[in-house]
Amino acid sequence: MELHLANHSSYPRIGASREEQRLRRAYTQRERGEISGETFNQIQDSVVAEIIQEQAAAGCELLTDGQIRWYDPISHLTGKLAQVEINGLLRYFDTNFYFRQPVLKGKVNRKESLVVEEFRYALQVSPRPIKPILTGPYTLAVSFIRQAPEYGELSTLIMDLSEVLAQDVGALAAAGAQVIQVEEPAILRHPRDLPLLHKALVPLSRAKGSAQLSLYTYFGDATPIYEGLQELPVQILGFDFTYAPTLPDKIVALGSPKSLGLGLIDGRNTRMETAEEVLPILDKVLPHVHGESVYLNPSCGLEYLPREKAVAKLTLMKKFKDAFLHRGKR
Amino acid sequence: MSRAKLERLGLKLPLFITSTVGSFPKPDYLLEARAKFARKEITQKDLEALERRATEFWIQQQEEIGLDVLVDGEQYRGDMVAYFAEILPGFDRGGLVRSYGNRYYFKPIIVGEVKWSRPITVNWWKFAQTLTSKPVKGMLTGPYTIMDWSFNDYYPDRKAACFALAMVIRKEVEALVEAGAKIIQIDEPALSVRPEELGFAREAMHMITDNIPAYFVTHICYGAFEFIYPQMLDLPVDNFDLEMSNSGLDLIGLFEKDPFTKDLSFGVLDVHSHAVEAPGVVKDRIEKALQVLRPETLWVDPDCGLKTRTVEEAQGKLRAMMEAVREVRQSVGG
Repeated sequence: MELHLANHSSYPRIGASREEQRLRRAYTQRERGEISGETFNQIQDSVVAEIIQEQAAAGCELLTDGQIRWYDPISHLTGKLAQVEINGLLRYFDTNFYFRQPVLKGKVNRKESLVVEEFRYALQVSPRPIKPILTGPYTLAVSFIRQAPEYGELSTLIMDLSEVLAQDVGALAAAGAQVIQVEEPAILRHPRDLPLLHKALVPLSRAKGSAQLSLYTYFGDATPIYEGLQELPVQILGFDFTYAPTLPDKIVALGSPKSLGLGLIDGRNTRMETAEEVLPILDKVLPHVHGESVYLNPSCGLEYLPREKAVAKLTLMKKFKDAFLHRGKR
Repeated sequence: MSRAKLERLGLKLPLFITSTVGSFPKPDYLLEARAKFARKEITQKDLEALERRATEFWIQQQEEIGLDVLVDGEQYRGDMVAYFAEILPGFDRGGLVRSYGNRYYFKPIIVGEVKWSRPITVNWWKFAQTLTSKPVKGMLTGPYTIMDWSFNDYYPDRKAACFALAMVIRKEVEALVEAGAKIIQIDEPALSVRPEELGFAREAMHMITDNIPAYFVTHICYGAFEFIYPQMLDLPVDNFDLEMSNSGLDLIGLFEKDPFTKDLSFGVLDVHSHAVEAPGVVKDRIEKALQVLRPETLWVDPDCGLKTRTVEEAQGKLRAMMEAVREVRQSVGG
């Protein structure tokens, strides 16, 4: 079992300096028609490249494209589907971040790839492996306003979204993704729907080829459904430990046949974790993980932090890994 | 019961008391001045003069429209949390964080013990009250929301941070009451996001309102009320100011199941829509409210602050609201 350092998903797209705020200005300029779509895309590309380098320089080993092009985790994907209109803003779980709610008018259909082109670009400019992110079929489905008669039943929509996402999973694997992260924060709010999620992950699992499929939950305590999550057809499970004080004990008690993503670094707060807080949990949990890898990562996307704090958190993870390994050698 | 409290406080108000949630749009000259101030092109004194001018404008507008309980319009505030964090010792300004789309805000960081060192809103409340004989609400952001919308580097957990902020807000409430405020609104829009924390949010509200001779309103909006209702009725306030129209009045269903036991400021204007509601639409919403609430417990106001609308939209919406209220008052003989 190896310990790796991974980013979670999103990353702050602007920082404190004027140069680091070029994407914010570009959005405004594009809205006003002052720059072309092509110029806007070039600026977006340059920010993706910049934040990939920033993650690598901080010591991160499995990187993301920071979801820099995403308006939010829901509408970025659903907005690319046929029969979907994008509606007003809604709070994203318990954050002070808002997503645009999709409205379903008819049968879900994939018009184009969702994130494959973004992944290809990120991979091309990255010195290290890139982990593409997909919001999962369950979380997408419960975010919709359903106005299509086909989808009286939530389960029908979940399965149709699963088929759509599976096509992207297959294309991502073919494009070189080694780990594909599916995010399902909503399942923690509706744990009784775990069987629905299980069924919905099967098409994704079939499509993944040689890639590893990871299922990440956050913004809630996964401890009560830990056993059920271990049954899902994925190779990696990622958890938000900031909501789950007893999860380490559960892992110790039941073990983990799967690889784990340990969200021990709080992606929602600026306070820097100490080695005294993090290393004992690694000590406690790692002997009970029987999957091939453990990923130390933030508890959620880092976009909830100012840029300089996000970098500091990644740097801290590297420090913790070094301390952990160094201590192990003694 | 709460109407009796208002009368004890010397406030004789009509049926279907009309008010607003707090913020009004800033006129163009003030927006320009704020941008200039940020670029250090004008002084604090220059900016304040324009903030006072805008406050006078909105007090005069509220009187002309005919509202019963007025607000100062928050012309001197930017963000409802950052405003308090910029003044209170213990906060750092923090860095930029995205709230949606291309919108970013400076999210404050609690870096030390949060303290109340001087009145924050009292001078603005006093200024607004000198401009009108109608009651002006004291307007404060609640401790739970300030805590939830800030980073916390200092306190051991969310509850400790919330309680420390509650002590601060208590001091500000005392200062407002000392200055003469009789109605005080504590905004807690974040209250519904973590139902499991409602218990300590309620304790924090007790720390603020217990044994204070004022009528308390709390404003909560855009949350998952189904997870905190009816438990939220235990909050020690007299009036809940709730967003109703944006969510299609679906809270009425909750009130049919578990009766609403306090006064309710019923949001009849969707503040996220540019469209000015027709008086008939507003009247219909009030009549729906009356299916589950007694007339003497019902206040009428917009869903939320009107600061995101244009000046003209805000005026139009409030006029429509007043016209509807006058019709309803006539029909029930209020």
